[in-house]
Amino acid sequence: MTGTSGYSYLEWVDSGFYPPGTRSAAMLSLYGRSFSVVELNYTWYQMARSDVLARMLAAAPAHIVFAAKLTRTVTHEREEDWREQVQRYRQGIGALGKRLAAILVQLPPDFDRTVSNRHFLAELLDYLQGMPVAVEFRHASWAVDTVFAELERRQVTLVSVDEPDLPGLFPRLDVVTNPALFYVRFHGRNEKGWKNGNMQKKFDYDYSEQELHQWCEHELGSLSSRSRRGIIFFNNHVRAQAPRNALLLDSLIRKKVGRSG
Amino acid sequence: MNRNRFILHLNVADFAVAVERVVDLTLREKPVIVAPLQAARAAVYDMSEEAYRDGVRKGMLLNRATRMCRKARVLPPRFELYRKAMGSFVNEARSYSPVLEYGAEDGHLYLDITGTHRLFGTPPDVGWRLHRQIRSKLEIDPIWSLAGSKLVAKIGSRLVKPVGEYIVADGEEQRFLAPLSLNLLPGLSSVERQRLGQFNIVRIGELASLSRVQLHGVFGRRGESLFALSRGIDDSTVRPEEDRPPRLVRDHIFSNDCADRSVLKGVVGALAVQLGMELRSTRMEARRVGLRLDYTDGTSVSRQASVRQGIADDDSLLGLALTALERGLTRRTRVRSCRLIGDRLHPRSPQLRLFTDPATEQKKEHLLAAMDRIRQRFGREAIRMGSHPVLH
Repeated sequence: MTGTSGYSYLEWVDSGFYPPGTRSAAMLSLYGRSFSVVELNYTWYQMARSDVLARMLAAAPAHIVFAAKLTRTVTHEREEDWREQVQRYRQGIGALGKRLAAILVQLPPDFDRTVSNRHFLAELLDYLQGMPVAVEFRHASWAVDTVFAELERRQVTLVSVDEPDLPGLFPRLDVVTNPALFYVRFHGRNEKGWKNGNMQKKFDYDYSEQELHQWCEHELGSLSSRSRRGIIFFNNHVRAQAPRNALLLDSLIRKKVGRSG
Repeated sequence: MNRNRFILHLNVADFAVAVERVVDLTLREKPVIVAPLQAARAAVYDMSEEAYRDGVRKGMLLNRATRMCRKARVLPPRFELYRKAMGSFVNEARSYSPVLEYGAEDGHLYLDITGTHRLFGTPPDVGWRLHRQIRSKLEIDPIWSLAGSKLVAKIGSRLVKPVGEYIVADGEEQRFLAPLSLNLLPGLSSVERQRLGQFNIVRIGELASLSRVQLHGVFGRRGESLFALSRGIDDSTVRPEEDRPPRLVRDHIFSNDCADRSVLKGVVGALAVQLGMELRSTRMEARRVGLRLDYTDGTSVSRQASVRQGIADDDSLLGLALTALERGLTRRTRVRSCRLIGDRLHPRSPQLRLFTDPATEQKKEHLLAAMDRIRQRFGREAIRMGSHPVLH
């Protein structure tokens, strides 16, 4: 399943993905006409609340499933009471029920593989036990077999990423640690923007058909052959490139499946 | 309104305490009360969350507050410091939108970030980044909330106070408000709350379930506002400073709360003279003078007096100020502070008045100019008109 990281972008109205005059409240149902999965960004900015999610679910098209980011106060701006926050998050996100495809634990770029960080991650995964969890590393130091083995032991998905080829960033891999789910995030390959830090520049990238075709032939083929289910998100939201690229990849996958079928 | 609006509300809870804690790190995580120390019956100006939890409230007598929270550090208010901190707070926010509205030194700020998404990204991201920027640069931790109106954004902030964030999605307003207590609804007076309580209405959703006709029946014309408030309907715009009509403000805080009319007249007179000096130095005139009296018990009253033609001379300003004072002094309670506001300002016309004696006018102007020079050189109290009330 392909989708995008977030769906509520006014910019996508200007760029033509949503019809002119679309308000935020109407976006999810329009999004559902093109996609069946979406990554919820808002749960990164604020704690997941069951009442809010239940209302969103009630208004969402019935076929859509969700991946939800873990709150920033647990991953990026860790607070002392993070353990209680994880419990609150579990309670809040529970409102999605069976439509929760994964909880995305996105770790910050400076989160390297130190002893204390390893202990934190192990404890965090303990607290999230029983939930469908996917971990996205940004720091290259985590790209080691022992980490993959531990994720595999815990049945936690390692997120495969496509991002600029810059030193220190987590590499592009097709490692499967959880046969129940593979998870891919396309961030774009805007090297200049990535260094700049401005979201509008960082995620301003339009994947070419050739680039997506390569993914389709190599990494995605490998990932899907070893997993029962996979979700793929495009995070290059600027100028609605994410939904365009997601639809393009979706058509390439369909073609490939058609060929092999 | 058909267009999606994005209003960010930032609020530094207990602003004065937050600023004092930046200056003095030893105050962190300890109960702090800000109140004038010299006053015999000083009242609490601000307090920390720890003191609040012990029962201390704004406007409470300091003696009582310190009895309730014995461990509290009591500090005198430093308004100039709070004003500077507020300025820095506003400057950080200004980098994300020119449309911002804020109070004097209260730690509240509204930012309209509608249409900035191409420049700065999604509205929640702007809220988060601005919060992070303020926290790292100013070391204060504001609440931020994002909604489609000032009203809903403010309620979001109230909900998470003293720290946190709240995002109310478009179209979610009424469902968000429904389970909340009426106490969280801004603009609802205590009398109105009591009246609603008599009908066993304690939640915003219960108020929203009433029809326009029902609300009109109980509250008259005010029913229309309550109808909108309870549904989260608020089309009011964020009014940037330059859009607000200019005004001049002068404050006085009594070292001891005062109910003596002659003293009050003296203070109001002195404030009117200060207003006059400011008006004359900028060659402006005011057509209205407003007076706000803050009473010891935490309540306040505002009254105004206006004239058709602009004025800038002490006599006329004093006349208006004293009229406003007479209108406002309806209680025997002591006054803690007063604020004199000159507004409806306009530049002074160079044209001479038709029905006054130019020679007398000129004489008066020369006299005022001479008095202003003396005051500038020797202080505001150096000279005054014999007919003006004495500042005790």
